Amino acid sequence: MSQVSVIIATRNRSSMLRRAVESVRHTNCSAEILIVDDASEDQTQQVCTNFSDVHYIRLKRGLGLGAARNIGLIASVSPYISFLDDDDQRIPGSLEAQVKLLEAQPEAGMIYGRALYGDDQGVTQGSYYPEHCQQGDLFWDLLRWNFIPCPTVVFRRECLTRVGLLEEEAPGVEDWDLWVRIAELYSVMAIDKAVAIWRQGTPGSGQFTSRETKLHREAHRLHVHKWLRLPRAIAAGTAQRRKISRDFAARASQQLLWTAASRLKAGRMLESARVALAGARMYPLSMSRNILSPHTLRSLSSSLETYWR
Amino acid sequence: MKVSLIIPTFNRPHLLPRAVESAQRAGREVEVIVVDDASSDDTASVCASLRDVKYLRVDRNQGVAGARNVGLLESSGDFIAFLDDDDMRLPGSLDYQVSLLMAQPDAGFIAGGVMLADQDCIPTDEVAIPRGTSGDLFWEVLELSVHLIPGSVVIRKECFFEVGLFNPRLAGIDDWDMWTRIAEVRPVLLDPEPVCIYRVALPGSGQGSSILGRQMHAAVKHQERLFSLPRVQTATSAQRRLVRQNTRRRVADTLSWRAAHELPRGAFLFAASNFSIALRLSPFWAARPTHLRVLWRSASRQLLARSKNFLAPTPTPPVG
Repeated sequence: MSQVSVIIATRNRSSMLRRAVESVRHTNCSAEILIVDDASEDQTQQVCTNFSDVHYIRLKRGLGLGAARNIGLIASVSPYISFLDDDDQRIPGSLEAQVKLLEAQPEAGMIYGRALYGDDQGVTQGSYYPEHCQQGDLFWDLLRWNFIPCPTVVFRRECLTRVGLLEEEAPGVEDWDLWVRIAELYSVMAIDKAVAIWRQGTPGSGQFTSRETKLHREAHRLHVHKWLRLPRAIAAGTAQRRKISRDFAARASQQLLWTAASRLKAGRMLESARVALAGARMYPLSMSRNILSPHTLRSLSSSLETYWR
Repeated sequence: MKVSLIIPTFNRPHLLPRAVESAQRAGREVEVIVVDDASSDDTASVCASLRDVKYLRVDRNQGVAGARNVGLLESSGDFIAFLDDDDMRLPGSLDYQVSLLMAQPDAGFIAGGVMLADQDCIPTDEVAIPRGTSGDLFWEVLELSVHLIPGSVVIRKECFFEVGLFNPRLAGIDDWDMWTRIAEVRPVLLDPEPVCIYRVALPGSGQGSSILGRQMHAAVKHQERLFSLPRVQTATSAQRRLVRQNTRRRVADTLSWRAAHELPRGAFLFAASNFSIALRLSPFWAARPTHLRVLWRSASRQLLARSKNFLAPTPTPPVG
């Protein structure tokens, strides 16, 4: 039996899929590759039938990323699992190293690592995320923000039986939700090495910002209605929960403001206003606190200046 | 062929062994998976004493649908069956259904008859046979005119790879949602032979279906979301309107029938809430004279009995 199941959910990206699959093959690990095709309308099916040793599952209806990954989970058999997006890549030897580390630590539920940023061709520029990989009990840190790049994670299958499968109706933040739930019960390991290449979307289109606000909205919803109601968060008391949500709001509003400023700089007044408004609605207090800080004011005025010019 | 039978359970250790034993007798090659949905009692120790059972413990309560999904995760059979922890499977029933399903390779699932039972799971004479003929049953399932009980169904595992998993947001109607999605892409087999014993819910018995009205209401609401399925989208708007109307009428019928049925037993609140939901969903249909007459008859009988009790002199205890 293979050691790791790599689940690649894909939709209409047949051109990039080959690169992702090849990258997994180069990891020197007995990996089972599952491609879950979320009802693509392009040549994905033809491309996949050409691969050897790949478990190809085609959904009859487009169900979304979370549902597609869940189906991959049901079809997989290995004791360790990793998600890979169709546009990302694994770095050679990375899976093997991560599984070895995870095997040595039975109380850890998952292991993550660094992701290198890549462009559309999958070429890296040397910048990576996160700067510093924290380890241990990361439950509270993960409640503040998500610093775990999805393609770098390998987790145990048995985690899923204890915490349940992916939440399907949280588009874009289903991975974050799973990390939170795993970190509640298990410790988290990290490897201080780059293990995956992460393609960065081009933030040039309006679609990008609307997606970003949507992500923030989903995360906000989960944070309030799900994560802060997990038994461990409840047991920690009101003061701790309040502190965590304050940190969460500060972080999120800063990010939203930054997006708004960058949109403004790009000359898209309307989008910028939309993002800022969405932020003000979700986090009125920390948004106003952030917007009045000298740093933000300075960058906003400079953005406005470029905009008027 | 191997069948995985998934039993989600929550705080019912006294009923569980009966379900598990019946499941083990239901087929030659059965993998029984008990998914303990974060029970807070001694379910774990009860399961430890059961032989040949794959016991999965979920630490954070997922609801029935979530527990079924976890069971699917650890299942290894080509066919999947579900059983509630208070119901029973009949001996040999899984083998029988699997043989029928294997004869029809394109069929998605098979549903069988259900023996209705009282609270102690002793069968009454009633048998619920799924109405309709095998084949494309999408519209019938969508309209709720074919009522399927999860314990009576055996599903091909590939179906989940085509249409996805159970939706944990839909408490109590997640099974109907699943049957609809499968029936949309595959034909369905119906068979009259009884395969399981179903403990019929009573108002206030704490079973999921004892809150029938709320479930039915949720189903009608969820149907709007199922209308986004491609086959409904390509249908004409007249057809959609018809489906909506039929569903509402059927739900109103079921709810008023249940109300009339429960009234003589004194479940006034249950009956009233069910009938009010029926009225809200389909006012003209629920308030037809025939319905009202039946309701009035059972209500008056109950009231009469009550007033007699009230008027009759209380027996005095014998002196001495």
